[in-house]
Amino acid sequence: MSDGPKKIIKDITKGFSKHGYICSEQIATAVYLASELEKPILIEGPPGVGKTELANTAALYFKKDMIRLQCYEGLDESKALYEWRYGKQLLYTQILKEQMQEVLEGAKGLKESLDRLMKFEDIFFSEDFLETRPLLEALTSKKGSVLLIDEVDKSDEEFEALLLEILSEFQISIPELGVRKAEVKPLVVLTSNNSREIGDALKRRCLHLYIPFPEAKLERQIVQARVPEISESLQIQLVNFVQGVRELDLKKQPAISETIDWAKTVILLNSEELDTKLAEDTLNILLKHQQDIEVVKKEIPALVSSATETSDGKSIN
Amino acid sequence: MEKVLTDFVKALRNSNVRVSPAETIDAVSVVDTVGYEDKELLKRTLSIVLPKTPEEKKKFEECFDDFFTDEIKQQISVEANELTDIKDIDSDLAKKLLEGSQGELMLSIADAAEEAEIREIRYFTQRSVFTRRILEKMGVGKLEDELMQMGASREDELPSELEQELRNQLTNLRERVSDYVQQQFLLHGDVSGEQLREQVFKSMNMAQIDRSYLHEVHSLVRKMAKKLANLHSRRKKNFKKGKLDIRKTIRDNWVNQGILFDLSWAYKKVDRPKIYVICDVSGSVGAYARFMLMFLFSLTEVVSKLRAFVFSSNLGEVTNDFKDAQLDEAIEKALQKHGGGSTDYGQALTDFVSLCLDEIDKKTTVVILGDARNNFGPEKAHLMKSINERAKQVFWLNPEGKYRWDTGDSVMTTYSAYCTKVFQCGNIDQLERVISTLLKTAI
Repeated sequence: MSDGPKKIIKDITKGFSKHGYICSEQIATAVYLASELEKPILIEGPPGVGKTELANTAALYFKKDMIRLQCYEGLDESKALYEWRYGKQLLYTQILKEQMQEVLEGAKGLKESLDRLMKFEDIFFSEDFLETRPLLEALTSKKGSVLLIDEVDKSDEEFEALLLEILSEFQISIPELGVRKAEVKPLVVLTSNNSREIGDALKRRCLHLYIPFPEAKLERQIVQARVPEISESLQIQLVNFVQGVRELDLKKQPAISETIDWAKTVILLNSEELDTKLAEDTLNILLKHQQDIEVVKKEIPALVSSATETSDGKSIN
Repeated sequence: MEKVLTDFVKALRNSNVRVSPAETIDAVSVVDTVGYEDKELLKRTLSIVLPKTPEEKKKFEECFDDFFTDEIKQQISVEANELTDIKDIDSDLAKKLLEGSQGELMLSIADAAEEAEIREIRYFTQRSVFTRRILEKMGVGKLEDELMQMGASREDELPSELEQELRNQLTNLRERVSDYVQQQFLLHGDVSGEQLREQVFKSMNMAQIDRSYLHEVHSLVRKMAKKLANLHSRRKKNFKKGKLDIRKTIRDNWVNQGILFDLSWAYKKVDRPKIYVICDVSGSVGAYARFMLMFLFSLTEVVSKLRAFVFSSNLGEVTNDFKDAQLDEAIEKALQKHGGGSTDYGQALTDFVSLCLDEIDKKTTVVILGDARNNFGPEKAHLMKSINERAKQVFWLNPEGKYRWDTGDSVMTTYSAYCTKVFQCGNIDQLERVISTLLKTAI
């Protein structure tokens, strides 16, 4: 019993790394729980630590379809849930009008006509005219799916309320058709950058995973996985440098995605060694605010020397 | 086993992690799948299910470590128990320490705790009292005496193995008891220390809050500000829907052969309030200004334009300090730069008027924080009048009790004639109320 979950978590870690996503035990545990308990999982953390990527990888790992819903202000049910195909519905009524003649032929009086009309099958509101949007699509998917609701904090509070039914019961009520329930429960991943506090009701229905900036060791693995052509000593230097930069008081700290971009840039420049000049020239890949760049520029010599030093120490060991 | 979990949830709630019954049920089903055996795994899984914000996660980790330490310690100290020559010691406790099993020891701690009425523990300050009491009940006094004698009789020799072991065990026991008390406190201290402290801070006079508590008060203030911000940003939403936007509706519905299918609404532009704060930071009122600024700068979400000025005699703007630096630093800096000295409201008003009277318009709220003690200088009330005429409203917050207004060199009435509203604002509760009114009326 105690062996089971541990092994599965290990498998997840391994499986994810095959798809190029190196995850900490905490992340793997979260994925395991989400699939085991069939509960949505809310991921928070600074931008660029791989929240969205986690959902992508989960889809690959579980071999399910990936359905993505990007949230923004003003997103409503007609864009997220379903929409009627108005055009087709209009055409349908026109066809219906022509057919009506045949149906009503020979009927005497208003009552009989009405009876016949009632017997006539009505498909005006039916699946045929239903345009599925991401949320409904995720529920109806036969194969099961990974539903990514990205940056849920960007949406309005009303939309959050709309999600509650889907997240707790995996069902959607369509007034004209009734309740649509998921056959295969999708794995739901929500991400948030905390630009707005998510409501308690939503949080309560989700597992909660916080992904912080990674530790040096994990970040090294990630860089190695994402930029395999990098030499080990350079990779250690870069990661140490970035870790050092994160200690400084910055407006926006460099995330993993920036580390990876930076590593790619350095490779492109054919550099073998991190030095002050290289760091200065490529700093704008790592930092996105002029103020931050100025802060870090002053510290570059110290950062570079400590980054290369520790890497030397490591390689001797 | 579920008892352990519910106890743990209770402890979590006491340290201010909000856990709903539904989440407790989740936790139970999670534990069913992963089991209790692997502590690390358990911690990781529970930390996904129970705490829902980064701050809560931190508290969760501390709480988890506190709660589940006992078992770990038991495992570690099982091996260290193989001394035999205990004939020349007659303290019961010593025998128990050296011979008894860990389980027995825990049991006797629990018994002693029962005698010491541990259930009565309410406040975090009582922990050391209870620890001492339990140790006494267990007979630590006698053991300590004996150890002292042993120490005195051996003169220069090295302490015997027995003595050494006893001392170690005693330290161990002390730790164990204090852990036990900590755990019991988390369980029984129902009015959690934190809530109680918050209550006290809220109603305490701001000038009397000790500096060492500033950090806690800061987080309290931030919490209150967040609540207010949520409240008012939601209120703002209702303002959004406006009139039908006919032009846009027609353009959008061109595809429907001109049948107006989708209606578009013209959104009202939401005017976020402009707030100008003038704070007296001279000796007597400086402490209040700190909290006032703390509160307001935690509200930047709902306030579009906030400018802060501080003065004791001359007036200076500190808005940029707050934007760039950490709040604490900024406040310190402002108080250092402008604080102290004798107050001169007349001069401050003159400076303010020449600095930004032109910018004050019908959307602006001017808030003045001060005790209106002018050292018998010129009042220049006509400046207040001109500010009042241009602004939407002028608030005056006076930290002194109402009965002290207009006594001595206070010229409160002279100024209050030109204020929309005057508040007494001595503690954080009052401050919250004032700022709530401010946000309600400023929009």
